[in-house]
Amino acid sequence: MNTMVMLAPLLLAWLAVPLTALAARSRSRLAPKIATSMAVLVFAAILWAWSMGGGVFTIPWAPSWDLTLSLALDGLAALYALLASGIGVLILLYSNGYLPHHLSNEQPDGERSVHFYVLLLFFMASMIGMVMAQDLLLLFVFWELTTIASYFLIGFDSHKQESRRAALMALLVTGITSLFLLIGALVLHAEYETFFLPELFQQAQPGALLTGSVALIIIAALAKSAQAPFHFWLPRAMAAPTPVSAYLHSAAMVAAGVFLLSRIYPLLQISSVLPDILIGIGFISMAMGGLFALKEVVLKRVLAYSTIAQYGYVVFMLGLDTSSAMIGASFYVLAHALMKSGLFLTAGAVTQATEEEQLTRLGGLARSMPWLAVSSGIIAAGLAGLPFTMGFFKDEILFKAALERGTWFAIAAALNAALTLAYTWRFWSGIFLGRVRMEAHHVPWTVVTPVVILAGLVFLGGILPSPFGRLASAAASEAVGIAVSTELAYHLDARLENILALSIYVTGALLIMARPALGTLLNGLSRLGQRSGPEHAYSSAGRGLERVSAFLYNFELHDLANRIATILTPTAVLIVIGLWVAPTSGAYRLSEFRLQDIPLGLVLLLTALSALVVTVPRNHLTQLLLLSSINFGLAGVFAFFGAPNLALVGVLIGVVSTLISVAFLTLFPQDTLRRAEEVRVPPGRNRRDILVSLFAGGGAFLVVWRVLSYPAFEENVAGKYMELAHSVHAKDVVTAILADWRGLDTMGEVTVLAVILVGLGSFVRLGRKQ
Amino acid sequence: MSTILSSAIARLLLPVTFMAATAFLIKGYASVGDGFSAGVTAASGILLQYLAFKPEVVEKLAPVRYSINIALVGLLLAFGVVFWPAIFGLPILTHFPRPDEPVTTLGTLEFHTAVLFDLGVFCLVFGFIVTTMRALMRVEQEGQS
Repeated sequence: MNTMVMLAPLLLAWLAVPLTALAARSRSRLAPKIATSMAVLVFAAILWAWSMGGGVFTIPWAPSWDLTLSLALDGLAALYALLASGIGVLILLYSNGYLPHHLSNEQPDGERSVHFYVLLLFFMASMIGMVMAQDLLLLFVFWELTTIASYFLIGFDSHKQESRRAALMALLVTGITSLFLLIGALVLHAEYETFFLPELFQQAQPGALLTGSVALIIIAALAKSAQAPFHFWLPRAMAAPTPVSAYLHSAAMVAAGVFLLSRIYPLLQISSVLPDILIGIGFISMAMGGLFALKEVVLKRVLAYSTIAQYGYVVFMLGLDTSSAMIGASFYVLAHALMKSGLFLTAGAVTQATEEEQLTRLGGLARSMPWLAVSSGIIAAGLAGLPFTMGFFKDEILFKAALERGTWFAIAAALNAALTLAYTWRFWSGIFLGRVRMEAHHVPWTVVTPVVILAGLVFLGGILPSPFGRLASAAASEAVGIAVSTELAYHLDARLENILALSIYVTGALLIMARPALGTLLNGLSRLGQRSGPEHAYSSAGRGLERVSAFLYNFELHDLANRIATILTPTAVLIVIGLWVAPTSGAYRLSEFRLQDIPLGLVLLLTALSALVVTVPRNHLTQLLLLSSINFGLAGVFAFFGAPNLALVGVLIGVVSTLISVAFLTLFPQDTLRRAEEVRVPPGRNRRDILVSLFAGGGAFLVVWRVLSYPAFEENVAGKYMELAHSVHAKDVVTAILADWRGLDTMGEVTVLAVILVGLGSFVRLGRKQ
Repeated sequence: MSTILSSAIARLLLPVTFMAATAFLIKGYASVGDGFSAGVTAASGILLQYLAFKPEVVEKLAPVRYSINIALVGLLLAFGVVFWPAIFGLPILTHFPRPDEPVTTLGTLEFHTAVLFDLGVFCLVFGFIVTTMRALMRVEQEGQS
């Protein structure tokens, strides 16, 4: 019973994907409504299951491979799943009003909007699966699913090059690093023989192996959370439609990284160096993100840099390695997700109303969009950490945790919080205050309502913080393994946290006033980042690979004769070296020619003659037929040697390849073929080709001669196979090998065929579209 | 290219190749031939049709129209036979009946999961060759139109 309750959210989330797609097939206008209501259901199911106490679900579905489907709805899972589904509901609601505007330049066929909703739901389902996974391998699978979903969502406007590039960059950065997660999981499995996290936590021993594998997993997590030095994909990913940025790049996709860090926290804690590294990376990310956010003018990119900075705080706190820091990290994720998605939605609403997306061209919108101005004002105040918002407490816990570690940590955190205050003010005041620069069009209520709801939550969290605090404490308890709790309240005394908060307000105000003077410094920093930052490394690596590929293509693949020569020549060289080194006693014997060998000799002679003659005719069909006669000749030789299966396959391959080639020839216009027949190969080229063929053919000839000079071994695997064939009920040894003993090889080959087929299918369909 | 003679021969050879393929498949576990040979043989029959008739005519044949489905079924069948035992905790690619158990036969056809695997290989190979041919023909047609 309890299991079903616990599994309900995940099942509902996965059910929502095909349901929306199917319902939209009959009427595409149904998609947003069904998607939104399904998301509400998922959210309610998580709340219900969590109030019932959560639960654990385990089936060992492939015990011989140690594969277990184990899911749990614990505190950590509940926090992130509630975020993913709750904010998901608001995003879907927002998309109702936003998407028609976004797609207004296209034909109103509705198919693309259905794609959008289905992808969003797919992402949500993957995210919920990931946070519930108790098995590292299962977690990895869902992790990859979120990456795939994010690729399609970021690249949703696939007609724009910028979107495609951004999607590819996000996919490469998070996809390549996710391999580190897989490697880390496999190393842990090799050592402790389990992927099951609770068991790993029990068995893990400190040592280089643990540190190494956990460090690999941390790399994946940092890339996903857009931390330095992997941060650069996030500002680029702002090419995505606004709901995607608001969802993936505030509450879900980037939260997955810090989720993973919290999930493996018991392993991370064992190591002595890893937490300190996290502190360093968190600090760099928050400083860099904050400074760039102060400089950036494109609305969504300001928020992207802010996200980098804010997750920097979380990583920083995770590195502080105290239980109050752990609560702080969870609370921070919760508060930040609400605030940042609200600000993203604000940016989208403003852009929708004014068609502007640069801070420098906006201003004075408070009068024409009062609801949005007030709501986003509350949210911005929250991000800046002002009292009577949830943000006050996120900063308070941060300072408390930092103070526990040391004064310098607290000062570092406070400086960054002042930066946050400065860029948040710049963002909000730049949009809503000042001179009115343009008129705002009307926007649908579905676009403004989610921002109002989020503002309400942020305000509620400032008045009544305890429910949110409990959720964060439950998540933190799960991560550290013991029950921890926190009391969030306002204290009107001169404790250090309050002093720090006050000093932030002052420093922040100073920063706001000094920003014009800071301009040169910020510009210099961003230019430095562009010239030698990790993004530069990424793009130059991409260009380098392209150059190598172009070189190889021109050298080898461009021309069929070149290609064959580059394969044959090195092979022949190796063969000659091998023959040179190997002992020669007994090699290169000539056996006597018996009467019964005459048929075989005739077949061989015919084959050799065909091979010689094939170089003469210029007509394509004649060449083809001669080539196939070589094939048939060789099949005949196999038949003489008592290998009927080989002979059969030889004949069949000969037939099919000839048929395909002839079919190809019929596709060409007659005069094209005739012209191709008349093309003369330049003499130098011809000489080279002859030399290469003689060299390679001679080498092959010597090897075969040499091998055949020795008698076959008396005892060989063939005899063994013959004996064993009966035991597996086979009368034909070859089939028994293919289908049974070496069945895995066959399966691999069959899979290759299937993969080629898939590639071919998309290739041909692509051709049809253009 | 297409003459009365070639189209008559192609049409006549189609059932013959299919019959040969069936024979290879059924006798696969007892004699020369296996799923791969059977698949290639059957596909060569279809290729002959492409030589003798226009692509639109060949597309009407059921095995051609459903070639992708056939390939997919083959892949699933092969994967199924390989991974099914893992669910019961046995090593993958465990065949049934086991070596010491008796096998039901119908003529030369043995009821053995290895034969089922071979059937999967047959379907995939046949589907692969025919689909590839269809794809190439389609590209060519679009090039002309």
